[in-house]
Amino acid sequence: MALQDFSNKKALLIEDMAEARIMQRKMLTDFGFTSIDIAMKAETAIELLRSKSFDVILSDYNLGKGKDGQQLLEEVRHSALIPNTATYLMVTAETSIEMVMGAIEYQPDGYVTKPFSQAMLQRRLNKLLETKERLYKVNLALDNKEHETAVSEAKIVMEKYPSLEGKCERIMGDCFLELKEYKKALSLYNKTIKSRKMPWALFGKAKCYYLMDELDKAEKLLNQLMLDNRFFVSAYDWLAKVLLKQDKAAEAQSTLIEAITKSPKNILRQMELGRISLLLGDSITAEMAYRKAVFLAKHSCYNTSEVYLKHLESLARIADSGPLIARQKDNFDSTLKKIHDGFFDEPDSRAKAYEYEMDICIADNEISTAKQIFEVWLSDVSSAAATAPSKQQTDRYSNAFGS
Amino acid sequence: MEKVNISTILASAIHESKNQVGTLLYQLQTVKESLGKEAPQNRKIIQIEESLKKLNDEWVEYLYLYRLASDGYELHPDTFLMEEFLDDQVFALSPSAIAKDLQLSFDCDPKLTGCFDERLMTAVVSTAVYNAFRYAKSKIVLTALEEKNFLIINIEDDGPGFVDDEEHHHHDTLLDDNTGLGLYFAELSASAHTYGETCGYIEKSTSRFGGACLSVHLPQTS
Repeated sequence: MALQDFSNKKALLIEDMAEARIMQRKMLTDFGFTSIDIAMKAETAIELLRSKSFDVILSDYNLGKGKDGQQLLEEVRHSALIPNTATYLMVTAETSIEMVMGAIEYQPDGYVTKPFSQAMLQRRLNKLLETKERLYKVNLALDNKEHETAVSEAKIVMEKYPSLEGKCERIMGDCFLELKEYKKALSLYNKTIKSRKMPWALFGKAKCYYLMDELDKAEKLLNQLMLDNRFFVSAYDWLAKVLLKQDKAAEAQSTLIEAITKSPKNILRQMELGRISLLLGDSITAEMAYRKAVFLAKHSCYNTSEVYLKHLESLARIADSGPLIARQKDNFDSTLKKIHDGFFDEPDSRAKAYEYEMDICIADNEISTAKQIFEVWLSDVSSAAATAPSKQQTDRYSNAFGS
Repeated sequence: MEKVNISTILASAIHESKNQVGTLLYQLQTVKESLGKEAPQNRKIIQIEESLKKLNDEWVEYLYLYRLASDGYELHPDTFLMEEFLDDQVFALSPSAIAKDLQLSFDCDPKLTGCFDERLMTAVVSTAVYNAFRYAKSKIVLTALEEKNFLIINIEDDGPGFVDDEEHHHHDTLLDDNTGLGLYFAELSASAHTYGETCGYIEKSTSRFGGACLSVHLPQTS
């Protein structure tokens, strides 16, 4: 194994415990890293990842109160905040490793279990970077969204390095799904499953069936995956998608609630529960889910206006059947303030915020306040700061104001 | 009072202890560095370090044993280049071997790949090697090969070998320094690896050097 030159690589170390942080930093320095950034929690790490690029990320699984290392990994990979060419190494204790391995959908490039010696870490890093080098062209194609190139490059790598077959097949499967070549993906997954019962292949196969509209088959496979691996919460998310497509929204909702009990900190899952609950007219559950999403959004990659607006919408729908109680009003005001602070320069967001605010006022029978808000809205429309209300909305409001 | 599941409590107690061993190892590392490479205390420190590492590996074995026996272990198989896997094991266990004046090496076809749960097999190999440390005269050799759709990992030593008769039962029981427990662990780990109807198993035999040979057979595809 050739020794890597770390001196030109940029490292990010994420670790909440001071003692371990100092030790690992020293190790990285000894390996030759000259650029080492430090984050004590996931939220800080996201800020750093937004502003700088890194080649190696060494993250502890356990990061104290906030997000854990796995959630951080899922977020930054999902939102492409770190390129596929970068290496993510997870430091875990023996108990947490099952959560990491069980995540299937987003796994780190490697893991190292505590306690580890300096020599062990160096060896792991060397190997991981060597693998990344071998897969460089594949990962580069993935980062550039050139999925066909990624497939052909993966075939070359697989031929040259048989031990990377699993990794390559997995990437190829994902690419076929991206390219909507479901038949090719299916036959690849079937081939893998025939020789080894890899969870990622079963999961890929389930996704294929979902995308090919063979919902019963997808449902069966996902149920199997959930039985096989209790840490694999993504299977619940996909089962909910299947159930929704089968017009079983209520079942989809309870599947998601189950998933959230297992893993409550995933913002996209909370958003999906909110969405389905609104579809079902269950505004109470929707509000709860969106409120949690608002809480999670602050330091996440998904800090968009949608999260906050949806929370307001769910409260407005609760108000449809009577005025809000004081606590709900406080929640509304607090989220509304966040929109004012962060997203009020988006004309659509501004219009929606006005809409929901008026809904609440009308439910409270505070017609004059609603009128004032409407006037501000219309004046914002003339200065192009807000989107205009629809005909339907205008009718509804004049109706409410007239009475 | 509600009845508690004692094995679960023991498992979590072991886990706590293991974490403490980890902290001790970190602290020892700091002490070692502050003393410098030439310090006269180093020999003793390395001895303590190796004992702690062994303790840590044993706790890991017991935790997996607990999970395997209570059906709480989910297998995560992947494909590995056997040369790399064996090299990893030798790398991790070499300091202990050196401290005991034993030679630890591996030998296998550089092209051979195998499919198995890495963490579990790492624990099995280290358990077997620690056990061999106690009996080997001069060397321990790890080998891997494929035979009739099975991947075989051998741990061979040049000690007295497995003694099976009634009088010298000590090599093989649950009560003797955990050798039996180690074998039981290896057996559970091997049989957790299944392919279709076939499942893995272990085999005890005499090594090429007249000592003990533990073979772990893991089913692969054709």
